[in-house]
Amino acid sequence: MTSRESIGLQEESCTSCLICVRDCPSECIEIERHSEQLTEGRRPKTVHVLDAFRIDYALCMYCGICIDVCPTDALSWSPIADLSVISRDLLVSNREDLARRWKGQSQS
Amino acid sequence: MAPAFASAKFRMVADPTIRVHVSELACCALEVSSAVALGLLRYETSADEGPRINVLLVSGSVTDLLAPAVQAQWDAVESPRLALAIGACASSGGPYWNSLVVRNGIGDLIQTSGFIAGCPPDPRRIIDGVLALVPSP
Repeated sequence: MTSRESIGLQEESCTSCLICVRDCPSECIEIERHSEQLTEGRRPKTVHVLDAFRIDYALCMYCGICIDVCPTDALSWSPIADLSVISRDLLVSNREDLARRWKGQSQS
Repeated sequence: MAPAFASAKFRMVADPTIRVHVSELACCALEVSSAVALGLLRYETSADEGPRINVLLVSGSVTDLLAPAVQAQWDAVESPRLALAIGACASSGGPYWNSLVVRNGIGDLIQTSGFIAGCPPDPRRIIDGVLALVPSP
């Protein structure tokens, strides 16, 4: 059985495509990205590079739509339950928190 | 007139010196009932001694209509006391954050000492959260 305590992010798989951001019903995901030109190869191409990834767990309704729609499976349920906090700001998880939850690590 | 809440009092099974009050605004309150069913929380009896701390769990979306009722319930809780927000709605408005009549969490209404994420949080997480957020004696 999947333990749905929080959501983890595998940073290397994320292409910053923003599908999760657009499909999130409670609009709790925020992504910052920039574009880079790659010149190697037969012709130059533009890729997105992830700068910041935030999930506001104060808004998240744990529906899992972001996990379902992610084309590269960069998001997954995580068994890490560390979301009982003393201030509302601490419910906003940044990229490092989400990567840690992907790896199954609790807050140190 | 603001609607009144039923004032059932609970005790934590792991630490019966913690008395728990619940603001039953929405579905998260069912998870508190579920904690009773799981044997993690129980109703207070006349055999219980006075609590060392009163905890108010606010669960559900606070609308403009219900805000005075939550305030009144908080005012009726005896000191020492602390308020915890259970679930997304009580923490921030949750999926209804953009609704005109929904408050963006109880943080602006009463002094909130803790937030337990989830939509809804698992009953075990509610109990773990209360034990983690209430200061030890």
